[in-house]
Amino acid sequence: MEFLNSIFVKPFADMVGAPDFLLQVLWEGLVAGVLYALIALGFVLIYKSSRIFNFAQGIMVVFAALTLVGFHEKGVPALLAVPLTLLVMFILAVAIERAVLRPLVNQPDLILFMATIGITLFLIGFGEIIFGGENKVMITEQLYIPTGSFEFEPFGGFVSIEQKDLTAVIGAVLLVVGLLVFLNRSKMGRAIRALGDDHQAALSVGISLSTIWVLVWFIAGVIALATGIVWGARAGVSFALEVIAFKALPVLMLGGLESVLGAIVGGLAIGVLEKLFEIYWGQPLLGGNTETWFAFVLALVVLLFRPQGLFGEKIIERV
Amino acid sequence: MKKNLIRYALLPAALALATAFGGAAAFAEDSINVTNLSYRTGPFAATGTPIMNGQRDYMIMLNERDGGINGVKISYDECETGYNTEKGAECYEKTKASSIVTQPWSTGITLQVLPKSNVDKIPILAPGYGFSPMADGKVFQWAFNPPASYWDGASMILKNISEGNLESLKGKKVVLLHLDAPYGKEPIPLLQAYAEKYGFTFLPIPVGVKEMQNQSAQWLQIRRERPDFVLMWGWGAMNVGAVTEAAKTKFPMDKFIGIWWSSHDGDMKSVGEAGKGYRAISWSLPHSESPVMQDIKKYVLDAKKAEIGEGEFDWVFYQRGVLISMFTVEGIRAAQEHFDTKVVNAEQLRWGLENLKLDEARLKEIGMDGMIGPFSTSCSNHAGHAGAWMLQWDGAKFVKVSDLLQADQDMIAPLVETEAKKYADANAPWPINEECKM
Repeated sequence: MEFLNSIFVKPFADMVGAPDFLLQVLWEGLVAGVLYALIALGFVLIYKSSRIFNFAQGIMVVFAALTLVGFHEKGVPALLAVPLTLLVMFILAVAIERAVLRPLVNQPDLILFMATIGITLFLIGFGEIIFGGENKVMITEQLYIPTGSFEFEPFGGFVSIEQKDLTAVIGAVLLVVGLLVFLNRSKMGRAIRALGDDHQAALSVGISLSTIWVLVWFIAGVIALATGIVWGARAGVSFALEVIAFKALPVLMLGGLESVLGAIVGGLAIGVLEKLFEIYWGQPLLGGNTETWFAFVLALVVLLFRPQGLFGEKIIERV
Repeated sequence: MKKNLIRYALLPAALALATAFGGAAAFAEDSINVTNLSYRTGPFAATGTPIMNGQRDYMIMLNERDGGINGVKISYDECETGYNTEKGAECYEKTKASSIVTQPWSTGITLQVLPKSNVDKIPILAPGYGFSPMADGKVFQWAFNPPASYWDGASMILKNISEGNLESLKGKKVVLLHLDAPYGKEPIPLLQAYAEKYGFTFLPIPVGVKEMQNQSAQWLQIRRERPDFVLMWGWGAMNVGAVTEAAKTKFPMDKFIGIWWSSHDGDMKSVGEAGKGYRAISWSLPHSESPVMQDIKKYVLDAKKAEIGEGEFDWVFYQRGVLISMFTVEGIRAAQEHFDTKVVNAEQLRWGLENLKLDEARLKEIGMDGMIGPFSTSCSNHAGHAGAWMLQWDGAKFVKVSDLLQADQDMIAPLVETEAKKYADANAPWPINEECKM
């Protein structure tokens, strides 16, 4: 009876008993969700246009953030370092298209996936040679990202909202809106979607595969830079940032690999639900650290009923 | 053409013969191979790199200044593990034949190679890390964790936060924020034993590797639990993430204390002023003006024999790396003297590590006075149980804020004995050093 009480009654009683704490949990979950969605978006864009699961997305986050900080360390003003970093990410996109993707056109998906593992290993080594392995400080203040906090006292309690978290949420929302407008309204965006729907058909109407690939890898680079700034501001910039890419996997499973909307909804759902579960069920009943597996279990349950994910396209293949 | 082919075919054979009969002997007489299972890549590279640099630079300095150890050059080498247990086990297999010591550099890798040590007869040196019961030299004949084990560290932290009166912890709540890995879990048995004996609440809170940079859930729990103290067994980005969240949660920094691997200047620089007041226990003290550090500057860094990052020379971790290499070197010296030989082998080094005598006079002699507390090892004591100091982050660097603290061996020794026995029983037949009567 006590066990059932701890599952079905106590967590909800705790939520009602300390509503300020619940608000804080929801806010932290929302912030985490936005950050997960950002990482997942990088994967989705590349998959959508080229059917490649980009294993290198995590290291691109590290590479972009280290490049930004590296430029600043060399004396480049922060606001100039951002476009310079974007230029580097563009050059990287061109290099990947020329050196890796173009020679592998029409190869099975698995080969292309393996190629992105190769890109990852190259960027790890190349990045360490250029930037070294030590932890670097993100240039948060130099980028005019506010670092204070807003504090509220709802229900006689206490809720703190970090300004840099708020900036991250607003920045991520703007980035996503911009991306959606680009994908749905611009000619290039429509070309990306067309390529994602059917390679052969898209090529037959004159869409350039190499141009689109450079474009999507560059956009993934932009997202990587945004992700790197946001995560780097929380815990420094180092190769440890690479592991956060794994947080996107359950988001992709949940939202579907081809859906921008899926990445956003999946990211937010996982962010909020895993935080609620960890605080009210995981820590009291399971000793905590449920965030390492909760999202995967949630995604697994969804896959049982919707194998293509919440927003993925249902593919019917004739055999 | 045919002549050339014969020449090419003969060349490797000639080289092999030369190596077998002459080259190997000459090489062996000239140098001792010490391979480090290092990690300069991967998610923990930022913390691994300065330590490995310190280890490497001490060896280079000795080669440059003294021509090695008693005339024998040290061939310092590294095998990259990326702090990955599987890769570490591979590195161990790859290097066990050439290196006279294994330095696993992670508790996970240490636990992997520990059962093999008796068979391969190569000493495991895990300074200030690894499995705490390795301190029992009778059971773990080939494993060494000087100058102090994690249990020594946990005991010293508790003594310090209770201001020497452990009874004062009664009714209080102590949280252990730890990496969810063998390293992070190491202090749990001892802290549980302390909690039972002194009547305080002990709550371990794990942090997964993927959660290191976003510990909001863990710190929400800390906010809810309202502990009196938070202890941290953190590593890499986890340290920065934790101190950032502590500042955000407004947890009093002076009630937040880390183990020695959570005292990295590089991590704390990311936090800066916000981390002011954070403390960490440390068995090493940086002393950039000490003779040994000045020699490293002169013979290695100024001579461009190796390079380190800006400001790294003064860091706790870089100088701790120097001390760690010193343990191996002093073990080799002791073995050279005892066995009256120049090129010691793994078995002889085991004896050397078991007979370290690092008293104040010896530390002064090797230019390390004040950088580490004096300690010695024996056949029964493989940890040395040296003391440690409490360091505090002042916003820009770590400063010493306590005298040399000592662990409570009355509390630790019975647990070491029990856990060592448990390990030996679980891995039976496990050889025990019956000759050791200490």
